[in-house]
Formats: sequence, structure tokens, C-alpha cells
Amino acid sequence: MSSIHKRGNAEVNANLTPMIDVTFLLIVFFVLVSQIVEVESVSMDLPEPIDPMTQKAGEDQRAVINIVPALERGRIEGYRLGTRLFPPGPDGIEALTNQLQTLFEANPTLAINLRADRITHYQYVEPALQAVTDAASRVESADVKARINLVIIRPEGVVHD
Amino acid sequence: MTDPVSNLHFGPEPELDPEAQAIKRARSHRRRAKPGNRIKLNLTAMIDVVFLLLIYFMVATDFKVGEEIYRMDLPDRSQAQAEQDPFDLDEEPLRINVATSGLGRSRYQISIDGPYPQPDDFQELFEILRARQIRDNASGGLFEPDHPIVIQPTRTTQWEHAIEAFNAAARARYTNVIFAKPQ
Repeated sequence: MSSIHKRGNAEVNANLTPMIDVTFLLIVFFVLVSQIVEVESVSMDLPEPIDPMTQKAGEDQRAVINIVPALERGRIEGYRLGTRLFPPGPDGIEALTNQLQTLFEANPTLAINLRADRITHYQYVEPALQAVTDAASRVESADVKARINLVIIRPEGVVHD
Repeated sequence: MTDPVSNLHFGPEPELDPEAQAIKRARSHRRRAKPGNRIKLNLTAMIDVVFLLLIYFMVATDFKVGEEIYRMDLPDRSQAQAEQDPFDLDEEPLRINVATSGLGRSRYQISIDGPYPQPDDFQELFEILRARQIRDNASGGLFEPDHPIVIQPTRTTQWEHAIEAFNAAARARYTNVIFAKPQ
């Protein structure tokens, strides 16, 4: 019997409650972030221009158009806005324009981020640019200041001016 | 049927047989021996699962590290609808043609419409555009910073080459750069 603890051997117990709390918070964070990232960014190889004259994406309200690359080089599967995929071609572009119009009506200052793979042919990118312009011009409100943000990757080691 | 009242017992407890007394003593001793005894949940399995989930989400989450943007404002319709001065001359945009000429990042061709030196790469394009911009401390400038510049890719120009041309104009501090429909 221990001379200090008269009732028996001393037991060391770790209080795991704070650790479990923190761990659950981390899990909730990663679940939410992974969902947001999945909606906003399709995995693709973005352009990496030399010495880019870009700026960091702010926290402005934005929608993201992902031009989803196809397996065939330069071609695309479609245009993804949120969780909807619009097929390439006039019908898909018209549906994309209507969807963008709805977004602009709800938020006239919405920014549109455009993500396209670096080897995607320009003939598939330009309709998306045109869709944003058309959607903004269809909205009655004069407050619409639609903006397209072209998303690229800043090469490693290149710092901001 | 037994009358429940007849089971009630008042006065001293009845004598128990020795075996029953031993069991009663043992139970009472056990209860007294560990006064702080509580029901405990075994959390080990849950913590294992929680850590596995945490590791999964940490590995699977793909942050958009290093992504940046070029801001490209769309034409302002409020200005477009305003009455235009009939004596204003339209500025002829500077047109930059970009074509991808093969597989690979360095396979492209650039040309500038007009009597300008023709660049071999995007760095030269930047230098030509920069040299021809009207600035306070430089001579030989032709174009204001807001002079319209049109990037004209072909249908099969890779997006990275179109972006490189756009970047050259943006680096040269031109503010009115747009993409044209593909040729």
C-alpha cells in the first residue's frame, strides 16, 4: 500500500475532454471546408503566368465558373456553376447565362471567378466570358457592376509587387 | 394468497443464517471500500474513430493554395447608354494575336497588328507595350494607360497563352484589356 495514498495505489488519469472538444471542432472545420472547396474548385491545372500582375482573391461575394476539362486534350466536359454542370454548346451556354442572370438579380455586385485548365482551348473559354457579359446586360438594375476574375496560380517564389 | 401486511416486520431484525450474513457483510464492505466508484464510458474507440476522420479530412481537403485573380471589369452599361460626343474619335484598339503552335508551354506565336516590332515571347511583348505607353518620365510613348488593348486568340489557342498575353498587357500597366471572340 502506498504510504501517501492510504486508500491504495495512486492512479493517473488523463482528462481527455478538451482534446475531444478540439478534435471535433477540427473535424467540423475540415468537413465544411472540404464541401466549400468541392463546390468552388474543380481539380485542374490552372495557368501559371510568368511574373503575374494579379491580386489575392478577397472575401467579396462571388460565384465560380469552373470550365471542367475533358480527357481529350483541350476539350471540356462543360461549365460548372455551383453544383450544376452545363454542357458545352449553345443550349448549355444559354442555360448558364440564365443561371448567372438569376444570380445577378439577387446580387448586382456579384463577382464571377473563372477557372479554366491551362491547355483548354480558347474556343471553350470565350463563351463563358460572353455568358457573364450577356447575363449582366439582361439584368434591369443599373447597379449591376459585373466583374470577371480570371483565376491563375502564382508560381512559387514570386512575391507581390 | 399471502397478506402483504403480514410480511411487515417491526422490531429487531430477524436472525439470518451465517451464509446470508457473510454475503451481506461482503456487499456492504464492497460498497464502503470504493467510495468514489462511478460509471465510466470507455472513450477509446470513439477517439480512434474521431482521429481517423480527422486525418481523412486533413488529407482529402485540397485548399486553393496560391490561387490569385486578374480583375476584368465588364463594359459599364450606364456609360454606354449615355449620349456620346459626336466629335469624339474612337480609339483604334491595339490588337495582339496569340496562337498555340504545338504541344508545350513555349509553343506559341504572337503578333501585334500595325507597324510595331513583332515580339518573339511574352517578355518582349511586355517590353514593347511598356515602351509605347505614354509616361511622364519617358519619351516615345504612343498609348495612354487606358488605351484599349484587344487580345485576339485563335479557337485552338491554349488558355495559358491567352492569359500570358493578358498578363503582359497588365504588367505594362494597361487598364483596358479585353479578350476578343476567337478567330
